[in-house]
Amino acid sequence: MRRYLARRLLLLVPVLVGVSVIVFMVLHLSPGDPVEIMLGAQATQADRARLRADLGLDQPVHVQYVRWLGHVARGDLGRSLWMKRPVLAEVLLRFQATLILAGTALLLSTTLGIALGVASATRPNSLLDRLSATASLFGASMPSFWLGIVLMVVFALRLGWLPASGMYAPYGGGGLLDLLAHLLLPAVTLAAASVTIIARLTRATMLETLGQDYIRTARAKGVVERGVVLRHGLKNALIPIVTVVGVQAGYLLGGAVLTETVFAWPGVGTLMVQGILARDVPLVQGCVLVVALSFVLVNLAVDLVYAWLDPRIRYE
Amino acid sequence: MSILTAWLVFLTVVLGLGAMAPPAAAQPAGTLVVGLVAEPVNLDPAQVTDLNSNRVGRRIVETLVTFPDESTQVVPGLAESWTVSKDGLRYTFKLRQGVRFHDGSPFNAEAVKDSIERQINPEHHFHKLGKYPFANYFFGNVKAVEVVDSSTVEFVLKEPRASFLAVLTAGAASIVSPTAVKKFGADYALQPVGTGPFKFASWERGQRVVLEKNPGYWRFPVKLDRVVFRPIVEDQARLTELLTGALDLIVGTPPDYVGQLESNPKVTLLKQVGAHVWYLGINNQKKPFDDKRVRQALNYAVNKEAIVRDVLKGTGSLSAGPVLPKTWGADAGLKPYPYDPERARKLLAEAGHPNGFSTTLWVPESGSGMQSPVAMSTVIQSNLKAVGVTVALQTMEWGAYLAKLRSKEQDLFALSWMAGNEDPDMVMYPLLHSSQWTPNGPNRALYKNEKFDELLHQARLTTDEKKRADLYRQAQRILVDDAPWIFVDHEIQTAAHAKRVQGFKLHPSFDLRVETISLK
Repeated sequence: MRRYLARRLLLLVPVLVGVSVIVFMVLHLSPGDPVEIMLGAQATQADRARLRADLGLDQPVHVQYVRWLGHVARGDLGRSLWMKRPVLAEVLLRFQATLILAGTALLLSTTLGIALGVASATRPNSLLDRLSATASLFGASMPSFWLGIVLMVVFALRLGWLPASGMYAPYGGGGLLDLLAHLLLPAVTLAAASVTIIARLTRATMLETLGQDYIRTARAKGVVERGVVLRHGLKNALIPIVTVVGVQAGYLLGGAVLTETVFAWPGVGTLMVQGILARDVPLVQGCVLVVALSFVLVNLAVDLVYAWLDPRIRYE
Repeated sequence: MSILTAWLVFLTVVLGLGAMAPPAAAQPAGTLVVGLVAEPVNLDPAQVTDLNSNRVGRRIVETLVTFPDESTQVVPGLAESWTVSKDGLRYTFKLRQGVRFHDGSPFNAEAVKDSIERQINPEHHFHKLGKYPFANYFFGNVKAVEVVDSSTVEFVLKEPRASFLAVLTAGAASIVSPTAVKKFGADYALQPVGTGPFKFASWERGQRVVLEKNPGYWRFPVKLDRVVFRPIVEDQARLTELLTGALDLIVGTPPDYVGQLESNPKVTLLKQVGAHVWYLGINNQKKPFDDKRVRQALNYAVNKEAIVRDVLKGTGSLSAGPVLPKTWGADAGLKPYPYDPERARKLLAEAGHPNGFSTTLWVPESGSGMQSPVAMSTVIQSNLKAVGVTVALQTMEWGAYLAKLRSKEQDLFALSWMAGNEDPDMVMYPLLHSSQWTPNGPNRALYKNEKFDELLHQARLTTDEKKRADLYRQAQRILVDDAPWIFVDHEIQTAAHAKRVQGFKLHPSFDLRVETISLK
């Protein structure tokens, strides 16, 4: 087990280097460079040349990359070209906000998704099942920015129950209650699509599991229905569900961009978009590396959970 | 079901608590909350090029000369008075006495010298601490900044430039505290220290920048205790925050919301035309656009009134040229090209294109000062179609667009310019003088007219405003006749504020002067 973990963690290095090469190439291949964007329409040739040299952008691409990699090896992600701030501190700070938002959304979507899925599977074709199917279709097909704006207009503008944007009150805020009030709308928006995916998958897997022989056996030996469904049914249905939850976790971490933008949530998604628009290579690299790292770690965690759920799975 | 139920109960309680917290808590008295469309990049106006950073940074630092509240005519700022040598090469400023930076250090001639020379002199001890994107654009003509005595400073120019005072109103010409730059080094841009009405207090990334009032501000007592700037990219969110009282002031209201805000009793909507021009550039060197009649025809073909009315919802005023109407350099006799498709067709026929021709129009998806580029260009496309000119629209992302414009392969392109002030030299020279052809400068229409060039040059040599105005009027008449662009509009900026905000005015320079505000 320990050797397996060590091997998986070592594999992180080539994955992250690969990711960074791709990001570097894509940013360099996309038209327009940071100098162009920083200087805007007023740029003169002299200002452009000077700034390009100042930022080290007059060097060949591979030299720029190797130089960047050298700094990274020493734990220094460099300074953002555009904001002039140290990248690592900036990205970690923003990543906390993303973790809070994505974590809450994941909690919401997993809990609600599994509950809905189990309930639908135990009473197929009931009113609840059909409602849940309709809601799923709705949840899966509407874009998150649209849902976000609708929720904002209803709960902030019309009803005045919740704040419309931000993470804390503009001034004199702070504290858990303030955070929760600001978190509710973006978390629900972000969770909506995942809930439906998890609910549909749970329903399908549960239906299949509940038709197994061991379920009939459990019922025959007199286990109460709740025990049959949860201990014998759900636990055996969990492997595909955990896989999907893992994928959703990655999606929520990396895909919170739209929700963050709509609700002015100070997360890593908005930072990354700003970085891309400014062709700020060090900043985008920093954001992508952190997101990629968390994605890989979530996958690892999912694999470990398999072993815990199903004693037949062992890693050597 | 027990674990699941427990989770559900827990979540309901936690999220319910969130819903119970008072939502848009009223701001503490004396705190103004402003919604920006994007987060400032940094707060040193010499190191930024975007409007949002400038709007926040310029509350902290000030310039030697500035503008009054209504116009962009140059008046004394940190300098009390100035003289210009006969040859126009030496500008001597008498500095205001007794002014101190927020860190307590004195404002003097040394500070002025350091603030400018850090940008243009690679040997200067502050030069390596920052990147100064517009050093050459604004100060390329400055040979030296000389300290005469502690309250007198002299700028020596390489060649005369009558608009130099206007240059010194730019954010890049702000005077910074040398003590603070020494202390903070490269991080100075994140916590600037100046002489302005507000001092830097805190910055929570992605959330807010807080400025506190400068109690010893030399110009007038500041009535606000603090200003909080919040970046909110999404238009609907900004609007909702304003209407629920969580924001006091927003700028740059999208045209589609203007009507809604105008009729809302909770807020006041302000409008002010800005020193800006939106134009459709024409490649003057490329066939068939090298024929003046074709360019004039395009101007007659476009229905500018419809663009301003229907696309911009009244947030633009018709343009007859690059210079802002009703300013000292504008020619009051100049009329915008009227919408006359018949005349356009006739001119095209005279130029040998009775059946029109096909061309391409490059448009950025967005960009600083670009208003609604795609919607505006789409109207232009259909207007031109009506006179036989078939236009293929190519939209591009801003960065890619600017790079592509340097290829000189453009036919037609949509672009805008914010000069920051009304001096015609700040808009006509860079955009239309032949020495400024891209990639050297921003003349992307590749326009060249020797008579026009000479008039602009002459207007730089004399500091007599009357003479300059006369030269610029002649130059503008040449421009209208030559029609190097399709002249479209000057942006009318909009802002909306809560009723408790008193004494706020939009400024034609696009600056956001919240220091004039008091709260009811």
